[in-house]
Amino acid sequence: MQEKNSKTGPFRLSKEGQNYLETGLPEMNLVNILKEGPLEIQKAKEMVGNFNIAFQWTKKNGWVVEKDGMLRLVKEPKRSEIQEALKKIADGEEVEKGIIDVLIQRKLVKKMIRGEVDGLVGKEVSDLTPDLIKTGIWKKVTFKPYNVTVAGKRIYPGKRHPYDQFLMKVRRKLVELGFKEMTGPTVETEFWNFDALFQPQNHPARDWTQTYNMKHPKFGRLPEKGIISRVKATHEDGWTTGGTGWGYEWDAQKASRLMPRAHDTAISPRYLAKGVEIPGKYFNIVRCYRPDVIDATHGVEFNQTGGFVIAKDLTFKNLLGLLKQFAYEIAGAKKIKFYADYYPFTEPSCQISIKHPQLGWMEAAGAGIFRPELTEPLGIKEPVIAWGFGIDRLAMHAMSIKDIRYLFSRNLEWLRNQTIII
Amino acid sequence: MPTIDVSFKDLCRLVGRNMPLEKLRDEYILYAKGEVDEVKGDELKLDIKDTNRPELWSAEGVAREIQGRITKHIGLPKYKVGKSKVVVKVDKKNENVRPYTVCAVAKGLKIDVNVLSQMIQLQEKVCNTFGRNRKEVALGVYDLHRVKPPINFTTVKPESIKFVPLEFDEAMTPKEILKKHPKGKEFGHLLKGFKEYPIFIDSAGNVLSMPPVINSDYTGKVTTNSRDLFIECSGFNFKFLMAALNVIVTALADRGAKIQTVKVVYPKRVYENKSTIYTPELKPKKFTIKADYANSVTGLKLTPKQMCRLLEKARYKTKVKGGKKEKKIEVLYPAYRQDIMHPRDVVEDIIISYGYNKIEPVVSELATIGSIDNKEVFSNAIAEISVGLGLQEVLSYTLTNKDNLFKKMNIEEQIVAEVENPVSMNWNVFRNWLLPSVMEFLSNNQHVEYPQRVFEIGDVVLLDDTQETKTKDIRKLACAISNTYVSYEEISSVLDAVMKTLGIEYKLKSATHPSFIEGRSANVLVKGKSIGLIGEIHPAVMENWKLEMPVAAFEIDIEELQ
Repeated sequence: MQEKNSKTGPFRLSKEGQNYLETGLPEMNLVNILKEGPLEIQKAKEMVGNFNIAFQWTKKNGWVVEKDGMLRLVKEPKRSEIQEALKKIADGEEVEKGIIDVLIQRKLVKKMIRGEVDGLVGKEVSDLTPDLIKTGIWKKVTFKPYNVTVAGKRIYPGKRHPYDQFLMKVRRKLVELGFKEMTGPTVETEFWNFDALFQPQNHPARDWTQTYNMKHPKFGRLPEKGIISRVKATHEDGWTTGGTGWGYEWDAQKASRLMPRAHDTAISPRYLAKGVEIPGKYFNIVRCYRPDVIDATHGVEFNQTGGFVIAKDLTFKNLLGLLKQFAYEIAGAKKIKFYADYYPFTEPSCQISIKHPQLGWMEAAGAGIFRPELTEPLGIKEPVIAWGFGIDRLAMHAMSIKDIRYLFSRNLEWLRNQTIII
Repeated sequence: MPTIDVSFKDLCRLVGRNMPLEKLRDEYILYAKGEVDEVKGDELKLDIKDTNRPELWSAEGVAREIQGRITKHIGLPKYKVGKSKVVVKVDKKNENVRPYTVCAVAKGLKIDVNVLSQMIQLQEKVCNTFGRNRKEVALGVYDLHRVKPPINFTTVKPESIKFVPLEFDEAMTPKEILKKHPKGKEFGHLLKGFKEYPIFIDSAGNVLSMPPVINSDYTGKVTTNSRDLFIECSGFNFKFLMAALNVIVTALADRGAKIQTVKVVYPKRVYENKSTIYTPELKPKKFTIKADYANSVTGLKLTPKQMCRLLEKARYKTKVKGGKKEKKIEVLYPAYRQDIMHPRDVVEDIIISYGYNKIEPVVSELATIGSIDNKEVFSNAIAEISVGLGLQEVLSYTLTNKDNLFKKMNIEEQIVAEVENPVSMNWNVFRNWLLPSVMEFLSNNQHVEYPQRVFEIGDVVLLDDTQETKTKDIRKLACAISNTYVSYEEISSVLDAVMKTLGIEYKLKSATHPSFIEGRSANVLVKGKSIGLIGEIHPAVMENWKLEMPVAAFEIDIEELQ
């Protein structure tokens, strides 16, 4: 074994020494800058890393003087022995004792503890250390074998919430099918939630489900007058839609009442009113709110996935085609069956039941062609197929849960143990 | 959707054919927009999907639809209406309480158990679903032989009269009924605030009922011995009342009853400019649809003749009209259909008769480009960074309570978006900041191994008068670390990593906030604007959440970063 660096034992660079080897000694960096001419201290501080060290050594070596806040180079060193020594140590070459002392004083090198490493020769060691590698003594030791079949200590990686992950997966799938995402406000006017969907103000069709009202704020603003007067006329006598209307006096005040969004379809008329691409395919995944008693099938809040397709000449056949595509592409159906269904804002309406490989027959999605009484007041002439997808049961299946409340699981242990949804 | 119980045998008898159960389940029930939910011997539970066709909520209505499709009984079901001598006088006093009633008489009915149970079920479903829990429509059926017409529909003071309510032995005043009778307790709120209550009373002084609460036991109890019935329907909107009455009487007519009109006399003109009206009106109504229009909706290429055939099966009467250029179909539809208000509604019946499952689904090939909303894309990016920092994502409800938002967080109560009719006071306001949701999560998971490092990305709802909805959803990120020892430095490293990875310059400015330890919290500033808070959670807050492990956390508005 050849002894390196000096008589006093092998050295290696400290972290600081390694740093200076790479970026240059601070004092040399300062010298280099001052070669261009005198400089204000403040400026030099900004330009040179470890300025205090640099200033201290240049002053000590008599290279630089300070006067009136200005630094000036008075003697330009040809070379720096310290800088050279750092390189030598890194290369494992010998360095003079005097220089080594300075390096030790400046904490730029660390002494390898020869004795310790030497003592290991011929022995079985447990840890491979930097010193073992550097001195080459690793060649003369053996490594204690481990029990490599034992799994490591359990650690918990950062993870997405599985429900969120599932919803993102559905999003991506819908985007692959050409759908654009829509969003809308959590607190909504009854106008967009009901009236714009041709649900009359005092009729069972409005009560197709229980809904919340807002205590504060109570009333919102209605959209522009043109839409309001057309919706009003359509509710009252059918306007020019070819229908009879509901035959009652429409109340703008009631329509401006605020409520937490009760269903995702509240978003579609907003988009139709402000203009959409034709042909266009749109979707939304949003939180909805209904005052259901909370149990294994009803959460405090729930997500609805839905949207619409708009294009010239769309027919009921395309509606069935859309549902079929969802059934196979998103729900993984093996068999499908269509049922006539009812939604207050579509006609004709259809529900698709699917045979899921694990869950058996289940209702999967619903769709209908928006009523002309809905689309025409919003300025839409083309047929619009509205659709909604019951993704929560699929999410529950993906997450292996039976209770819908676990979709929003607040149990950290359960979350840590969940596998990710791919 | 309404769920109804029917007897399978009874249904077969009404259809006029012994249907195999399989066929009913797989095919026939679809004609009535239904699904067989459960089979228990002869008892079937049917889900009727249409909440706007009350006539389908009984065996009679379901049978009519199936009959048209599978037997020779197609076209309009015929309902003859005779004239009874019964007169109902409506008092002016009703105007502000329960202004309208429409009535009918059904005679010669053989009431067996099936008829009775279907009648009661239909009456209930119509009142509850169509009549908005009796608010809009209340229906009463009485044994005509116990009623002495003319009948007065008037109002009485709550303690001025006594009668025995249905299923009770003792005579009670209206006031006592609202207090003691189960129906009085259930529906009493509909009469709240009125000085007088509506009442049907006959010429012998016998009370028929106090709508919309309860019938009297004497006249309002229909049994299998009853033959002739008096039916009244009361509420606020003639259209609904007529529709409800038609649904009931046509079902009874299908059971063999002879329907007769009742003369209802109002103190002023109420309906079609008349003050005296005869109800029910069972005349079929007319509608015209264009054949081309129907095909453009269905995508089928049906001839007008084929359409007529399909509509006849759906119990319409049809006639082809118009020249070579444009064929029209004039339809007459039965009086129990109150849902038809646009040619579109007739088109659906063509498809139902054709069979939804016989139509070939066509996937429309539209060249559209899909995209995820920017807010979601950005949220997803931040979630990925947070996961990389070893944080577990959590999800919470946006509804919460003021205790969680303010009191437990050691801050003063603020005005927030609040729900008027919450199911539970635990969820009655929308959160206006995110940290309480994360604190609640930590508080729920104290038994779980530490350290706990979590994050949530979610919306909060802020009040904002400039918005159409007077509120604004803001997407936020909250992170929290909890362990036996946590420091400001640890959480600020997380924040720093999030910001650096997003390439966003920010500054921290020392701030005082009661949720955090004084001297250990800061505002997060981006371009000079505060977008959030960071700090070590105050021990008082820890106590409020019953947390024993220290928490350091931050919350930032991520919409400001986009």
